[in-house]
Amino acid sequence: MPPAMPQTPHKDDLEETWSFLEAGINSVMLKLEEGVDMKTYMALYTAVHNFCTSQKAVANNQGLQAHRGAHLLGEELYKLLGEYLSRHLAVVLNESKGHAEEALLGFYIREWTRFTTAAKYVNHLFSYLNRHWVKREIDEGKKNVYDVYTLHLVKWKDDFFENVHAKVMDAVLNLIEKQRNGETIEQSQIKSIVDSFVSLGLDENDSKKSTLEVYRQYFQRPFIDATRTYYENESRQFVAENSVVEYMKKAEARLDEEKARVGLYLHQDVAKTLTETCLDVLVTAHSTLLRDEFQILLDNERQEDLARMYRLLSRIKEGLDPLRSTFENHVRRAGLAAVEKVASEGDSFEPKLYVDALLQVHTRYQNLVDDAFNGESEFVRSLDNACREFVNRNRICKTATTKSPELLARYTDSLLKKGSKAAEESELEEMLVQIMTVFKYIEDKDVFQKFYSKMLAKRLVHVSSVSDDAETSMISKLKEACGFEYTNKLQRMFQDIQISKDLNASYKDWQDKVLDDDDRKRMVDAHYQVLGTGFWPLQPPTSDFTAPIEINRTAERFQKFYFDKHNGRKLTWLWQLCKGEVKANYIKNAKVPYTFQVSTYQMGILLLFNEADTFSYSDIQKATNLVPEILDPNLSIFLKAKVLTSSPEGAKPEPSTTFSLNYNFKNKKIKVNLNIQIKSEQKVETEDTHKTIEEDRKLLLQSAIVRIMKSRKKMKHVQLVNEVIQQVKSRFPPKVQDIKKNIEALMEKDYIERLDGDEISYIA
Amino acid sequence: MSSQITLTSSDGIDISVDRVVAERSVLIKNMLEDLGDSGEAIPIPNVNEAVLKKVIEWCEHHKNDPQSASDDDDNRRKTTDIEEWDQKFMQVDQEMLFEIILAANYLDIKALLDVGCKTVANMIKGKSPEEIRKTFNIQNDFTPEEEDQIRRENEWAEE
Repeated sequence: MPPAMPQTPHKDDLEETWSFLEAGINSVMLKLEEGVDMKTYMALYTAVHNFCTSQKAVANNQGLQAHRGAHLLGEELYKLLGEYLSRHLAVVLNESKGHAEEALLGFYIREWTRFTTAAKYVNHLFSYLNRHWVKREIDEGKKNVYDVYTLHLVKWKDDFFENVHAKVMDAVLNLIEKQRNGETIEQSQIKSIVDSFVSLGLDENDSKKSTLEVYRQYFQRPFIDATRTYYENESRQFVAENSVVEYMKKAEARLDEEKARVGLYLHQDVAKTLTETCLDVLVTAHSTLLRDEFQILLDNERQEDLARMYRLLSRIKEGLDPLRSTFENHVRRAGLAAVEKVASEGDSFEPKLYVDALLQVHTRYQNLVDDAFNGESEFVRSLDNACREFVNRNRICKTATTKSPELLARYTDSLLKKGSKAAEESELEEMLVQIMTVFKYIEDKDVFQKFYSKMLAKRLVHVSSVSDDAETSMISKLKEACGFEYTNKLQRMFQDIQISKDLNASYKDWQDKVLDDDDRKRMVDAHYQVLGTGFWPLQPPTSDFTAPIEINRTAERFQKFYFDKHNGRKLTWLWQLCKGEVKANYIKNAKVPYTFQVSTYQMGILLLFNEADTFSYSDIQKATNLVPEILDPNLSIFLKAKVLTSSPEGAKPEPSTTFSLNYNFKNKKIKVNLNIQIKSEQKVETEDTHKTIEEDRKLLLQSAIVRIMKSRKKMKHVQLVNEVIQQVKSRFPPKVQDIKKNIEALMEKDYIERLDGDEISYIA
Repeated sequence: MSSQITLTSSDGIDISVDRVVAERSVLIKNMLEDLGDSGEAIPIPNVNEAVLKKVIEWCEHHKNDPQSASDDDDNRRKTTDIEEWDQKFMQVDQEMLFEIILAANYLDIKALLDVGCKTVANMIKGKSPEEIRKTFNIQNDFTPEEEDQIRRENEWAEE
């Protein structure tokens, strides 16, 4: 049978009403596990309602009061409830004194749970008070009046929490220290304490909101202090007994652990401060020690440890900065050492060896930056600085800084020339990409351009490129790196070759129409290239030359065809670059006649022997018109290959020597290449190239100066020099002295003039 | 769809009602949340059968209304407009009207309390003090001096 409805108290009687309510609240607070029945619940609610709506309200409102509306009852109940809670909490506080450490935590949590659960009930039972009296008080801006639930929290904080939080935190911190020492603890306890502390943060202005004030002050602060002390001690002890590498592992593990701790049982709000504290104590405090280890790790190539060091130091302010110069120096030294090794093998090393040495160092440290340093841009910059240094200033460049671009250009040539070892096209492309890596660091880019265009010219003229695709690919890479102007001439050279192909085709058509049978019989099968003087790095012949009649006739015919097409143009025959094949029908004992691959100069000499078997040196010289510097080496080649024999026997080519055709010539191959480049020629060429570089730089500087002055009209000298440096530095690093010299030169030529003071003016 | 619960009026009559309907009363809603539904009849000690039935009728009609979120329904409260059904619902004698208002306040049914108060407000609107006294059967217990003073204090509100 359900219990009878409890008799609700007389609504006008405060004492009766309160003692009825107190009994009810007491059973909610202390015996909730026994349950509250509906009748009691409704009776308690009704008692509060009835008291607040009792006629006393009307009685109090008698007379001419202010117009703010009805006076609401309830203040007495609110006060009595507060007093009741204080009494309850005094008992709880007293009991708490019998507990310490984990037992205290258990007690706190138990009482907190009981108290807040009861608070929820009481809040509902007093909801009539909340809706009317409390609401009115808060609306009117009264401080220290809260809804009934919040009143519970305020009382808990003031009457209980204030007296126990220090002891509770001691217990919490001891527990956390135990866990840091490796013991297993009851984490949920700490979680509950954190939640309780957070709940107690009440916003003075809006009791529905909470702040983290209480939690921050009473939990976070002591927790952070304890953390700092703990890790100060631990790290000090650990570095004293272990290596730096071991310490880094420990520090990293501790950082991870603390990060995880936040997720396990702390409030997210602590995360930032906790991490900062740990970094400060574990990393910043030991950063000098860590950095001192950096060089050792680099020397031993301890990539994993370097990565760990990077991760740790990257997390503190300016932690990495001191490492950058160490790294830069280390890479530079590695680069210089690699070049030193190449240089120690003597002067005649392959360009490939040099470029490979540069690339190896770059690749090794590029990988280190990518893998261990996360590709961080500042380290990339240090790497670039170091590479630029050792690429441009090393033992091999000591004599001339232009050595690096020259060697790089030669290496490129060796790759793009027919017969290079890079068989696969993709492999070749890969190597071109690597060349561009080194090219990026080259300061004298104009030198590279010079050598490159010379070698490209040769490859094109001699049709010895490995492939058009590879050539185009390389040119477009250079264009991408240095702009249109840098590769303009290279592209024009390429075009000329294309145009020449078409020209030869139409020449063939023309010949078919014009030539008679007689002409055709004596025709020499030939291919012509017409190369624009402005674009090609080619010199006119250094010697006069009377071409053999057969060649001459062919050449003149082509010339006639060409001038018909392009009136007013001038053609210069670059005999030194021409070549051909002649068939040796005179040789005895040869089933198939030998073919000699020869230069046109050589052809001029050999064809003489169609008329007679023996010629004197002066006969040959007179017939060909060649200067001795060219004639002599070519005759030597014939003698060496035994195409000709000399008399007296074994004599060198000199005015007293006579030369005879060797009818007993023998060779393993049917095609014999006699068109070999003469060593001295190559050396002269290199020197010439260097000389033209100086000349070109002068022009580049002067044109830059004129260009700047033309647009600025007036300018200070210093400013002008700086501007010039800006403009040309992508090609080569100019010397200030040279710029000044060229400014002087332009003044003499009346392009510019000096005004008063430091100013320079453009003369229109 | 919804369980039935029993309410017991102050004069001891049991009334069965859908739980959803009963929960229009925040008091009943909170209690069921706190104690759970034991199947016991819920005593409503302050409301008699006639009034309770009337209140339940209103809750039944409004059971699908969105639960108004406390104070953000200012607009609804500022106007004295009452929807048609509620107007008809409130066409009861004065005694019953006041009983409904008291019950709504006790049971914490905000929307019903509002409708009740608006109905009363509409009864006052446009009437002279004398007419109002007549409407609500109120004795004039002011002395002429007091009346004069009040009139002067409230001059600003006239016209």
